[in-house]
Amino acid sequence: MTDVYRKWGRVIRYENGMTIRVEEAGEATERDGTFRTAPIESPAQTGVSVPHVDSFVAQTGVSVAQVEDFVAQTLLSVQQVDSFVAQTLLSVRPCTIERLIVSAGIARHETNGVSWTEESRRVHISLTNPPLRVLVDQASFDLASIETIANALGRAGHERKPPSPLRLAPNVAAALLPSLTGELAMEQSGGGLDGKGQPIETRAVTSDPPPNWYRPGYTVRPIRAWLNLRALPFGRVDKSAPLAVALLAPVDGTMLRVLCVDGEDVFPATVDATRIAAVSGDAPVWYPYAAGSFGVEMML
Amino acid sequence: MRGALVESRLTHGQARQHGRMIDATDARDERLVRACDEAVDDARDTVAALGDARVRVVVRATREDGNETVQTTITVAIGGLSVVTTPADALHDHELLRTLAASKPIEKIRSLPIVWQNGSASVLLHEAVGHASEHGAAPVPWPSWLSVDVPLAPRRETFRDVPLPRMTHLVAWQLGAPFALPDERIDVQLIAGGAYDPVTDVVTINVAVSTAGPFTIQRTRSQIAASLSCAAGEPVRYPGLICSREGQELYVASHAPVMITDPLI
Repeated sequence: MTDVYRKWGRVIRYENGMTIRVEEAGEATERDGTFRTAPIESPAQTGVSVPHVDSFVAQTGVSVAQVEDFVAQTLLSVQQVDSFVAQTLLSVRPCTIERLIVSAGIARHETNGVSWTEESRRVHISLTNPPLRVLVDQASFDLASIETIANALGRAGHERKPPSPLRLAPNVAAALLPSLTGELAMEQSGGGLDGKGQPIETRAVTSDPPPNWYRPGYTVRPIRAWLNLRALPFGRVDKSAPLAVALLAPVDGTMLRVLCVDGEDVFPATVDATRIAAVSGDAPVWYPYAAGSFGVEMML
Repeated sequence: MRGALVESRLTHGQARQHGRMIDATDARDERLVRACDEAVDDARDTVAALGDARVRVVVRATREDGNETVQTTITVAIGGLSVVTTPADALHDHELLRTLAASKPIEKIRSLPIVWQNGSASVLLHEAVGHASEHGAAPVPWPSWLSVDVPLAPRRETFRDVPLPRMTHLVAWQLGAPFALPDERIDVQLIAGGAYDPVTDVVTINVAVSTAGPFTIQRTRSQIAASLSCAAGEPVRYPGLICSREGQELYVASHAPVMITDPLI
């Protein structure tokens, strides 16, 4: 059996002081257990990509005008990325930016007779106030959350024991969620298509094999995964409890090293987040952790 | 894997830099693609001889400012251990890996001097000297008998990546170093990985194979520099170092003599 997947993509990325525009198209096939990937060749041997791509049009039946119109709607421009970068650089003066990666992209996918388009925005920022480093990953050009975290980091004091109860901000909770599969009631949020073009349906997350496939790029073999995890609300989050506003290290199992804010006090702490006491019913925000994770405030 | 083709990937592209902007496309260069194909063909016989291992061959043909290079690296994995080698050294390194995979620890992990065998001290220096240099870290006092050649140059993994100042290779020498092999010691033979944190100046080394089994070292650069007590002989080629920084994986040829550090555990 042969599985064919094609992708046309364009991304603008700011990284390490440079802005890079990438256009590429590729194909992945899986036949008799062998996974092969290669760029999609065009007669002119030029980049095959959205929006000005003859082979894209030929293969998808989508006109250039339609594609260009779509591109315009995505507001995908160097200026937009650069603007966000400039604002970010200005907003984090209390501490140092160790790493800032900002990207915006669009991709057209085609597999199993289905084609669809996705847009993406990603921000990764690492801020330092030695010896502390916070890690922020988000899927929107949201400066406010970065400013909040930067201000907290700039005021950080010495290590403390983790407070109890402790609230986890949505960005922290979202990073933790993939580690709580099977430990916390959660669901896969429905909507969109997976890496094999199958609909992503809302399902309770169980220990059974996930029904959907995660394919982060055409050169990566798809794997079964729960997509777009969301914790089901329960209990009551005590809004007066200290708040873990950011990760100080990648999540290690259920161990979190976080930056906590308790009134005027800001301090690092390490906490075991195995036991969740409450999950907020607020509208969740999507974060690019694992195969997608929705964050809302949670309380330990 | 064990003689069967599991995955095959072709990637090609072109990056043009204008000031602080890079335009990258997946443009195909027939000459470079042909060079890759030829290098893969050359590696096939070597790979066929490594039938009991999981093998990953990566050929990179690049042209930058008129300079063309073709680099073939072969990652060989057996039983959770791996080395990164070249076609010329693959058979030797595969045999070394088989031997190491079959070895058992002969002592418990405890605070003992460490003898860095097989050129493995180059990994310690890769983190403590090379990465520290990439980050412009303040100098620390290394032993006067130690010289480390670790030039930096703009390097990138793919046409999609931003070039960063990265190590091209690392060669460490000793000149007139003292040497006395401790009776009680841990012999390190293979490293699983390492890291340098520029914020804390801490180097982490994950030892994969030693006479005390796997263990982890976490020390500051100053502590590591102060721990270097002895070295002997010529630089020894370490079987493989894939350096990952900012998500970009690059091969860095690494050599170091047998070196001894005071206890670091």
